Amino acid sequence: MSDADYKELKKGGMMRQAEAGLFSVRLHVVGGRLATTQLRAIQDAADRFGRGEIHLTTRQGVEIPHVPQSALAAVKEFLAPSGVGVGVCGPTVRTVTACQGCRVCPSGVIDSPELAEAVDRELYGKPVPHKFKVGISGCVNNCMKAEENDVGIKGWIEPRWEESACDFCGICEAVCPSKAIVVSAGDGKLAIDPALCIGCGDCITSCPTGSMREKIRGYRVFAGGKFGRRPSLGRRILGVLEKKEEAMAAILAVLDFFRVHGKSRERFGDTLQGTGFPALETFVKERTGLP
Amino acid sequence: MTTPLLDITGDVCPMTFVKVKMGLQAIAPAGKLNVRLKEEALKNVISSLKTEGHQVTNVAREDGIFLLEVTKAG
Repeated sequence: MSDADYKELKKGGMMRQAEAGLFSVRLHVVGGRLATTQLRAIQDAADRFGRGEIHLTTRQGVEIPHVPQSALAAVKEFLAPSGVGVGVCGPTVRTVTACQGCRVCPSGVIDSPELAEAVDRELYGKPVPHKFKVGISGCVNNCMKAEENDVGIKGWIEPRWEESACDFCGICEAVCPSKAIVVSAGDGKLAIDPALCIGCGDCITSCPTGSMREKIRGYRVFAGGKFGRRPSLGRRILGVLEKKEEAMAAILAVLDFFRVHGKSRERFGDTLQGTGFPALETFVKERTGLP
Repeated sequence: MTTPLLDITGDVCPMTFVKVKMGLQAIAPAGKLNVRLKEEALKNVISSLKTEGHQVTNVAREDGIFLLEVTKAG
């Protein structure tokens, strides 16, 4: 087999192992969620075509290692009826990761699995200049590490201050973990610095009078994160987005920007080193009309 | 009658939560309890009070210590 053939197999989720003739077969998983029937099929496939072993990847994926080259087509065919597809690798949009989101987690702000499914449907396996990872955290506790991804999303609560109900007790200022709130009781003023606000909603939870309220319960977009040999953290772009469709539009626009400016085998974070973040933000705003 | 005072400045979560809950058990519905607590305990104590229908009806502070007047649910 030629190197080109191996590359093609890799793009289709069949990764050549160190041991000649064997492959690790990556499966298509979204947000780490599998039905028990799918798990049983994966178990059977690993027993039948591999060595009875399953590997859980760092990004919520599942692989069946030790599959001989001769069995690659058969394993795919075996898994298909259970709705388990084969995954992707190479310069493509990779596994979309997500936490359990607001339907399961009491801290959840957004339905992260729902957005993950939508992103997956639209983008999974699509060709890009270099691997591209999307991760979705349901809230700012950020279990899915949004800033580690080429595009990360966090569920975010933007507060607003209702002056008429406030008695300037100072509790919001005291509980704010990022010192984004300054209360001036003497002048009857309160300021929230949106650049410092981390979207946790602690001020709203703690406010005794209900004068701290939710302005937006939505989505915050981070771009340009990666790990690997030279890690860098993604940075937030755009304002807080209200709807799932807006988050989706932002992700699509970010990807378009990468397609225009990214070079082959260059991670998005490195592309942004060249273009700068303002260029990305301008592009995304123009394309989507988002704030 | 003076409002009883519960001092939880020496406690950490979850004891702050437990002591406030126990303190309120001794109070009649719509009665008041003063709670003295540190800044770190504010968020969890207030959010659990709100969840259970009680209200924080007055707030005073002195050097990082807060004094909350809690009115028990009616």
